[in-house]
Amino acid sequence: MATDVLMPRLSDSMEEGTVLKWLVEQGGAVKRGEPLVEIETDKANMTYEADTDGFLIELLAQEGDTLEVGQPIARIGAEGETAAAPAAEVPAAAAKEEREPASADGADQAPAPIAKANGGGRVKASPLARRMAGELGVELARIEGSGPGGRVVKADVEAAADAGDQSAEPAAEASPQPTSEGRETSPRAAIPKRSGDSSPAPTSSAKGEVSIHEPTRLQRTVSRRMAEAKATVPDFSLELDVDMTLCIELRERLKTQTDRAPSFNDMVVKAAALALRDHPRVNGAYRDGKFEAYSRVNVGFAVAADDALVVPVVPDADQKSLGEISRQALRLIERVRDGSITPPELSGGTFSVSNLGMFGIERFTAIVNPPQAAILAVGALMKKPAVDDRGRVVARDLMTLTLICDHRILYGADGAQFLAQVRELLEQPLSLAL
Amino acid sequence: MSEMRYREALNLALREEMQADERVFLIGEDVGVFQGAFKVTAGLLEEFGERRVRDTPISENTIVGMGVGAAMAGLRPVVELMTINFSLLALDQIVNSAASIRYMFGAQVKVPLVIRMPQGAGHQLGPTHSHSFEALYTHIPGLLVAVPTTAADAHGLLKAAIRDDNPVIFIEHETLYGRRGEVPDDQEPLRFGEAAVRREGGDVTIVGISRMAETALKAADTLSSEHGIEAEVIDPRTLRPLDLDTILTSVRKTNRAVIVEEGWPHGGVGANMSALIQEQAFDDLDAPVARVTGADIPMPYSKPLEQASFPHEEHVVQAARATLGEI
Repeated sequence: MATDVLMPRLSDSMEEGTVLKWLVEQGGAVKRGEPLVEIETDKANMTYEADTDGFLIELLAQEGDTLEVGQPIARIGAEGETAAAPAAEVPAAAAKEEREPASADGADQAPAPIAKANGGGRVKASPLARRMAGELGVELARIEGSGPGGRVVKADVEAAADAGDQSAEPAAEASPQPTSEGRETSPRAAIPKRSGDSSPAPTSSAKGEVSIHEPTRLQRTVSRRMAEAKATVPDFSLELDVDMTLCIELRERLKTQTDRAPSFNDMVVKAAALALRDHPRVNGAYRDGKFEAYSRVNVGFAVAADDALVVPVVPDADQKSLGEISRQALRLIERVRDGSITPPELSGGTFSVSNLGMFGIERFTAIVNPPQAAILAVGALMKKPAVDDRGRVVARDLMTLTLICDHRILYGADGAQFLAQVRELLEQPLSLAL
Repeated sequence: MSEMRYREALNLALREEMQADERVFLIGEDVGVFQGAFKVTAGLLEEFGERRVRDTPISENTIVGMGVGAAMAGLRPVVELMTINFSLLALDQIVNSAASIRYMFGAQVKVPLVIRMPQGAGHQLGPTHSHSFEALYTHIPGLLVAVPTTAADAHGLLKAAIRDDNPVIFIEHETLYGRRGEVPDDQEPLRFGEAAVRREGGDVTIVGISRMAETALKAADTLSSEHGIEAEVIDPRTLRPLDLDTILTSVRKTNRAVIVEEGWPHGGVGANMSALIQEQAFDDLDAPVARVTGADIPMPYSKPLEQASFPHEEHVVQAARATLGEI
């Protein structure tokens, strides 16, 4: 009896994945626990292992195809078993019909990308809307639902069908493709689409040659989440200078003990983690109109990678020593750089730190990483004039911290108290060893 | 066509059936000399005598038991119980005997028994007199259940109930006894299992049970005049058998359903009906089936609390608008 291999959910936020490379040929033997396919998620590239023994009797998704989580990507069965399967065994029979002919090389005729207006996973629609969408050939996933909780209702489908009639062209583009059985299918969300590095198509304009590059999945995720944050988060910033004199002294002394002394960023992560423990709101999140508070303090820090931005997470940073944090951060940075970072290492963050001090940036504001409550932007450590207790201008080693807060969950005084505590900890860094 | 009160229509049906069939007789507390707690049996003792209009002691299980025995022996008894609450004393006779006997004896005997009783809140009679138990009786196979709302239906359905060979739970409503309505002259018995569409409309189907059919109609007027929503109002008239076809036809047209009942929400008539609707018209629904029910508590005695414990027009308006996504 053949079983479907479904597009796995490899990270919390994964809605769809791209098949990068099949590691077993069609017809080849697969073994439970052995690598089967490489999948690109919104966060990283992952190797997915087979969860059953058998033979890969059918590839339902070709390399480069992007499918929603839960869609079948292959079938594993007995040796010599035919690909044709009873319909009842295929959860999304329609999706199977819509696959491209296995032999046809239709790689360059990618169907239009699907705009997921309705959010991830299952589309919420009334039974009637679902039926009408099928009859009218409207894709539910494209429709913004006006019912409770975004449910797509009859009126939405009718409006979408009307809109479709008025712009017949796009409808025609999305129209049925012949399948291997030669039958026509209706357009649906599950149509596999190409993504990634399609070759630049140069065009000419007043700006000279324009080359267009498809963003990677990661870049798309970054752009979507950042735009979402800017559009929805009512943010404000708090800023203060930290006197880093004692941190510098501490680091000089640690350098005499180890050739991998913790960086100033590690100290900021540690100080922030300790302060987060005392300020649960800062460590919380605003999600779907509710405040979430987390028992763990997991601090993410932004790392610039090859044309991308990722935020690996130091879990339980409040429980870890400065040395542990430093070693773990270094490992994570290396894994980001060599591309071996995995989704679990990028998820679960309750707070983020972004540091551009190494580029000489004195201060900056960052964008809150939703649904987190705040992000800490760390500027350069540099000698600056300051006024001492006796009114004299003196040179001090100062570093500017900027806390950007989501005002829906975090208010001015809460953010200020948190930031002040971070400063106290950094100005008396012995406390970081407690 | 003549106008009469709901109680007069019931009285007329009893009189006509007693005149037409010698086997029909009445039995219950105060049905004779006192002419019934709600005067439904007025004048019948005088016309038909003590042999056919029998007053009994306060002993519901015995009254129904005598009815079951008489029915098995070939008579067509009409039992009156003072309220549906008191019928719980006779549940053994109703469920274990009346509903089951025809099945137990392979249809060699039948139980052509009618049990009439009023239900409903609004008269400050507290939890022992004011409940609505149509769901309880609809639950039981072997019983037919009628819930007439108008004078014409009270007349036509009671005649049908008396002529039916099955035991019938005939649920009247205390508030409806005084309602006037047109009753066709020489009206023939109505058929059980035929709902009445009280008002046509294309936007939402409202099914009102017993007195709630009246409440639903008022709500439909408000929906139309104040919100531009045209509701179709259906009075099922009998719950066993239930005219599901009429309800489904309407839901397929409006894509939305609201069920209004005076009884409790858990295991209610609406709970059952909404299951039937979603089982058979799932693909026609544009919103979850809504229910408006009585409060999930024993009926309070206090007037404001009692009024707050059963559905009123505004609740139905609100539920109907919610199915259209307006609230």
